Amino acid sequence: MSTHGPIIYVVDDDVSICKALSLLLKANKFRVATFTNAEDFLGFKHPKVQSCLVLDIRLPNINGFVLQEVMVQRGIITPIIFITGYGDISMSVKAIKAGAIDFLPKPFTEKSLLNAITLALSESKVLNRKQAGIAKIKQRIDTLSPRELEVFQFVAQGMMNKNIASKRGTSLQTIKVHRGRVMQKMQAKTVTELISLAQKAGITPS
Amino acid sequence: MKNKIIRKPRQTRVILPEKPKGPLLNIRIRNNLEEKVRQQTDELKIREGQLKLGADREKLGADREKIAEEQIHIRTKAMESTLDGIFIIDAKKADFPIIYANPSFFNLTGYSKSEVMGKSYFLLYGFDANLRIVEEIKQTLHQGKSFHGEMLNFKKNGEKYWCLLRIAPVRNAKGIITHYVGIKTDTSLMKQRDSEIEEQREELLHVTRVGKLAEFVSSLAHEISQPLTAILSYAQAAQRMLKDREPQLREILQYIINDDQRAAEVIRRLRSLLKKNKPTFETLDINTLTNDTVTLIMPHITAKNKVIRLELDSNLITIQGDRIQLQQVLLNLISNSLEAMEDSDSRELLIRTSLKDADTILVQVKDSGCGIPEENKPKLFAHFFTSKPDGLGMGLSISRSIVEAHGGHLEAENNPDRGATFYFTIPIHMKSDR
Repeated sequence: MSTHGPIIYVVDDDVSICKALSLLLKANKFRVATFTNAEDFLGFKHPKVQSCLVLDIRLPNINGFVLQEVMVQRGIITPIIFITGYGDISMSVKAIKAGAIDFLPKPFTEKSLLNAITLALSESKVLNRKQAGIAKIKQRIDTLSPRELEVFQFVAQGMMNKNIASKRGTSLQTIKVHRGRVMQKMQAKTVTELISLAQKAGITPS
Repeated sequence: MKNKIIRKPRQTRVILPEKPKGPLLNIRIRNNLEEKVRQQTDELKIREGQLKLGADREKLGADREKIAEEQIHIRTKAMESTLDGIFIIDAKKADFPIIYANPSFFNLTGYSKSEVMGKSYFLLYGFDANLRIVEEIKQTLHQGKSFHGEMLNFKKNGEKYWCLLRIAPVRNAKGIITHYVGIKTDTSLMKQRDSEIEEQREELLHVTRVGKLAEFVSSLAHEISQPLTAILSYAQAAQRMLKDREPQLREILQYIINDDQRAAEVIRRLRSLLKKNKPTFETLDINTLTNDTVTLIMPHITAKNKVIRLELDSNLITIQGDRIQLQQVLLNLISNSLEAMEDSDSRELLIRTSLKDADTILVQVKDSGCGIPEENKPKLFAHFFTSKPDGLGMGLSISRSIVEAHGGHLEAENNPDRGATFYFTIPIHMKSDR
């Protein structure tokens, strides 16, 4: 099996379900990693490939919903498909609202699982690309000098050059020079583009 | 003759001035006279004493009469003032005629005085009367015993009312029954209140039963859906692996898949059938809710010879909650405590409400029973866990899910001395669901 194809994580405390889903997904040419609790999944080193998580809601200690929150905190970005033996509408609404791709009541068919996985993996692709884009922007930001970074932040907030100058206590000319360099290093052709880069990198609270 | 005269003291004066007839005679006469005077004086003294005694007696009799009259007056007034219907039946006549009835009796039955007096008591029961009871009353009275019973009666206008009837025989000095005295009390209001309480209790029990069943089915559905999921995935994986080979095996796998889904469908339908009733949130006063719940379970508590002590904080703020569900929780905790105290000589069960902090109400149910064994603590709130021989193991797990649905927590701990305390919190401002 390929070592860079999409990987499907399965977290379910029922060993039999882990084994069955693993067989089913491998038969569908996916790489699979199964875990019987949330802690093991969190301890796993996640390769930066397309992936999704098939997650049981009822788990010992850390349940599915809590794991979803912890993943956001730790920056583990992989779309989630919830599975549960308690088919509850309010629960599924809660899950989808929190960003889950789908919510499958047990038992689910191969077809419905594969549909959800296809959706999740394309989402994963978008997320990964976004991640990669952000990483690239952050690399560019790293090349800025402290003063340039400061000017970048002011510009990103939509401040005029003269306002920045008076705030920094320097001449308008100096600010203009800094700003030119920021544009160059960030590879932005317009101010709008620069602001958008700042937003993507989380520089300004938009 | 003389004797006669002496007995009549007024005539003695006529005798006294009798003239002496000679010296000897004189002396004799004088002696006689002195003797007589002495006698008469003594007699007079006795007579006077007798007279005085007679006057006293007369006075005493008059006083007694007055007191007796007063007492009769008070008793009559009392009988006329009481809200109970009182009547007296002449026992010497076979048809039980009423010879006295107080005003409340007329109010109660709706009959006027002229319709009642001299008529048979049992005629008043009308045609709707339960003849078996009428016969029972007659039989009891014939045996010279008192009758005591509650029954449905009808007023003159046909209106129904519940009546507590007591009839007792009245005997004369020789022990012969001369009258029957009866008291009728209208118990309709009490009866209505009792039936309201009974209705509420039934409703709560029903909800509890349905809740238990729903929780049971839900848990069962989960337990079964796990292996069904695995079976389905195994079969579909095998099908995938076989691809175009072994068509017969692939067919068998398909049968497995179909039947797996059939089982899943059964569970789905069962679950939708017992879908949990959505809690209906209303503004609630925890103290009122506690009082109501205690009223419901009171007969049970009294029957077990236990007492409930309530310590309700009067400064509590109302909360938003489902009345029936929270009553269910409280009822469950109280029942558990009673069971824990079953074999205990201690009687008291304490329910306390208080403010845990500005935003949280705390409700504690403290018993003095057997306490929670250390090894049971981790499983206490788990589905199907029970320490009772006939328990389902659903009560505490349902209670916890109800309390959590209200944004609170349900916990338990053993008391330092004896028994256990179960307590739950309810936030005053319910956090909105995400």
